[in-house]
Order: sequence, then C-alpha cells, then structure tokens
Amino acid sequence: MIVPLEHLLILSTILFLLGLTCVLVRRNLIMILIGVEIMLNAVGLVLVGASAFWQQIDGQVMVLFLMAMTSAEVSISLAMVVYLQRRKNSIDIRSFDEMRG
Amino acid sequence: MSFAALQSLLPQLILALGATAVLMFGAWIPKRRLWLTVGLLLALSAALVAGLMEAPLAEVGGMYATTLYARFCTVVWSLTIAATLLISFRYADLHRFGGGEYTSLLLFAAAGMSLLSAATSLIGLFLGLEAFTLVLYILIAFNRTDDRGAEAGLKYLVFGAVATGFLAFGIALIYAASGSFHFQEALAGIQIEGALRPIGLAGWAMLLVAVGFKISLVPFHLWTPDVYQGAPAPISGVLATAAKGAVLTAFLPLLTMLGESGAEIKNVLWLLAIITMLVGTFAALPQTNLKRMLAYSSVVHMGYLLIALLVGGSDGGQALLFYLVIYSFATFGAFGVVTSFATEHEELQEYEDLRGLGYLHPRRSIVLAAFMLSLAGIPPLAGFFAKFGLFQAALRNGYAGLAIIGVFASLVSVYYYLRPIIVLFMQERSAYQLHPGSKSEYLLLAGCFVAILALGIYPEPLLNLVVLVLP
Repeated sequence: MIVPLEHLLILSTILFLLGLTCVLVRRNLIMILIGVEIMLNAVGLVLVGASAFWQQIDGQVMVLFLMAMTSAEVSISLAMVVYLQRRKNSIDIRSFDEMRG
Repeated sequence: MSFAALQSLLPQLILALGATAVLMFGAWIPKRRLWLTVGLLLALSAALVAGLMEAPLAEVGGMYATTLYARFCTVVWSLTIAATLLISFRYADLHRFGGGEYTSLLLFAAAGMSLLSAATSLIGLFLGLEAFTLVLYILIAFNRTDDRGAEAGLKYLVFGAVATGFLAFGIALIYAASGSFHFQEALAGIQIEGALRPIGLAGWAMLLVAVGFKISLVPFHLWTPDVYQGAPAPISGVLATAAKGAVLTAFLPLLTMLGESGAEIKNVLWLLAIITMLVGTFAALPQTNLKRMLAYSSVVHMGYLLIALLVGGSDGGQALLFYLVIYSFATFGAFGVVTSFATEHEELQEYEDLRGLGYLHPRRSIVLAAFMLSLAGIPPLAGFFAKFGLFQAALRNGYAGLAIIGVFASLVSVYYYLRPIIVLFMQERSAYQLHPGSKSEYLLLAGCFVAILALGIYPEPLLNLVVLVLP
C-alpha cells in the first residue's frame, strides 16, 4: 500500500465530520441527505483502505453492500421529500414541529 | 449457496420471499383483509419452521448463525409481527392502508430483525439492522392523511440516517483495526496488546452511538416520544418492542465475547445506563399523552436492560431475555389498546380524552391497567418477577449501584403508570362511546393479558426456555 493507513483514516474522518456538520447545520432536508451521503462515502473510503491494508477482499464486499443499502435509503428518503413537499409545501425541517413536550 | 445453506435460512427466506410475493400480487388484487391474513400465516409459518425444524448448518456464509439462540429470536420477532398484523385488521380498514404494501413491509421488517439477532459478523449485523430500519421509515409515515405521521417519519429518517452513518463508520474502523468482520476475530482487534487498539476502540464508540440511537438511550433518545406519538399505534408497538429487542439480542453475545478487554466500553455503558434510567424517569413524570408516556417508559426500560447487558454471561443473558419478553407483552399490549381505541380521525392518546373511559369500555381499560401495573413491576404480575430477576443478577455480579438506581427509578415509575389508570377509572367522564372493537383485537389483547398474568404466577416455562436457548 503506497498511502499509509493513517493518512487515509485522517482524510475519511475529516470527510465524516464535514458530512455530520452539514447534517447538524443545514435546515433543508435535501442538504441534510447530502450530508448523510458524505458520511457514508467516508465509510466506503475507510473500508477500501483497510481492505488494501489487510490484503483482503472482505472490505470491498462490504463497500458493495454499503452502496446498495445507500441507494435504497436515498430512494426512500427522496420519496419522503416529495411526500413532505406535497403535505406542507416545504422541506425546511423547521416547519415540522407540531409535537412538543 | 448450497441447498443446506438455504435450508438453514428457511424461516428468513419465508419472510423475505413471502414479503416480495405479497408486494407483487398485492398490486393486482387489492383486497386488504386477504393480504393481512396471508401475511399473518406467513409470519406464523416462519415462526413454526424456526421453532421446529433443525438447521443442517451451524453458520451460513460466515454471517448468520442458526443456533438455538438465533432461532428463539426469530420465533419471537415473527410472532411479534404476526401480532402486529392481527391487531391491524380494523385499523388498516379505518385508515384505508394498502393491504399488500403494509403486510409486505411488516414481513420484511421481521426478516431484518431475525437476521440481525442471528448475525455473527459485522456485515450481517449491518444488513439486518438496515433491512428493518429502512422499512420502518416508510411504515411510520404510512398514514398519508396524518400530518403528525409525516413529521414522525421525517424525524426518524434524519436521526436514523445519522445513526446509520455512525454504525457504518464504527464497523469500518473495527475492520481497519482487526482485519475481519467476523465477531470473534473482529474483537481480537481491541485486545490489550493490540497495536491498533485505539482505532478499534474509536470504532466501538461509534457503534455505541448508533446502538444508542436505535434503542433510544439518553442522550440519543430525543426522537423517541415524537416518533411514537406520530406513528400509527401498531407500528409504535413494533418500534418499542421488536425493533429494540432485536438490537439488544444482537449485542448480548458480542458484549459477552468482549470479556476483559472491553473495560472501557463497559464503563461507558455503565454511565449510559444510569443517565438513561434517571433522565427517562423524570421526563416521563409530566407526560399527559399515553403514547409519549410509553415512549419515555421504553427509554427507562432500555436503561434496565442495559444493566442486564452489562452483567453479561448466562446470568445477564437470562435476565435480559426474560425481561425483554415480559416487557414486550406489556408494551405491545398497551399499544394494542391504543390501536383498539382509535377512531377514523384520531387515536385517543391524551389523558384528557381517556377520562372515565373505564366505565364505557371496562374490559379494554382493565387490560390496559394490568399492562401498566406489570410495567411498573407490581406483583403478582409478570413485570415484578422480571425486574426482581434483573436486579438480583445485577447485585450478584457487583453492579449494586446500578441496581439501587434501577429500584429507585421503578419506584418513581409507579406514579406515571398509575396516572392513566386513575384517569380511566376515577375521574368524571368526558369520554364518549367508541367502536366496540373487533374480534382480532380482543384475541390479541386477551393473549397478552393472559401471558402477563400466567407468567407472573408461574414463570418456570419461560425461565426454562430462556436457560435452554442461551449458548
């Protein structure tokens, strides 16, 4: 492996934190979903890197599963976006705060 | 995949393929009751196969076990989903649910849960957990005419997606530290002498955050009351029982395998258990909505179950499984009563609306009262023995502090469990006559009620079963 494992872990941790910040700061549902995508892609990077580090195929198999799962999740969440847009004419999560207590 | 492997996964295949078939044929034959019945039969047959048929392989593909423990969990989750379908008959008619979709999604959830509890590798764990989380995103917002359902779906989606990110990152870090997804080898990555131990521990911390979200431990519990309140009552029942139980049963063997090398992780869990019990209890006190109160009650009960998870070994395992089954009967039953009280426009859940309902609908109200008393742990109901066993296991294994906080929390809990009972029976009537309820609802509620009573007086059969299935 040409790139050391530490560099890879540092890069993907930065990516993960960027995604998490996006989820926490943005109020638009689509931007939140993009943040989640960035978090999951950081995970993919770690898996591929670790797979190369250990000279094993397992990590890459997991990346394939992860990608399949992510696309299922994206299609469900985009359906949710359409549904919420129709109900309240907004995908700003601040307009969904009926329940309190 | 060999024939033996397929045969070993037969219960999960029945659930997953049955769900696919129901989804497909449901598009052509839009008969709600028919599909609910088919789903009920499929879930029951999966439970039957898991309970009676011996699996030829002990482990399939290095991902899923077919041990007695895994089979026991499959039976329990399949029966929970069967119960959910049974209680939904009238409810689905009221809200004009698409019968095929609803049934199919619930069956998928059962398949995901049973795979999760059977997982022996982190890949299997991830796939099982995601399989039913994705399904629950849809089911929570299933009632398309309800604004609260939409809001609950949104909240669960955002929190769930972040939890998925943490879970996947945790798994990736554990893999980077150990070079394997299989539990046994993956745990070797955090042995004391391991060079990559810090990375492994960071992975475990991420994993704990994700588990905290899924079983709503404080401080990751914020979504729980809103989602339970907004989701359809039968789905809230699944969320509070099977969805959490599956995660707990998946982590019980993992923590037991961890042994001495996981001292740091156990310290974090110890702290989480304390704040979960205390914060949950004090948040439940001022609630005036039955579903929200049950949500905080489930948070507190997860705190108790965390004690059993910490104790680990056969003592902790027995206490955990016994407690989980009893808690599921009572909580599912309580949500069943809410389902049964539902009208076309709303679910009766505010205490204000329940006032004096005990005189109009005495049978269902008495059953609800029994579930509340069992959750509070009042003898001779089963909840008392479950709590007694759990705290005793904690004391025997040197977790006296946790046991004392648990006993304190359950003493305080009597207040918030008695409040709905007082509202139902002892206050001036403001409620109005509701639907008399359907036969299937009565059947299920009576079943839960009898189980709570019978296991309180004679708990040996369940205790023996739990001892038998633990590895």
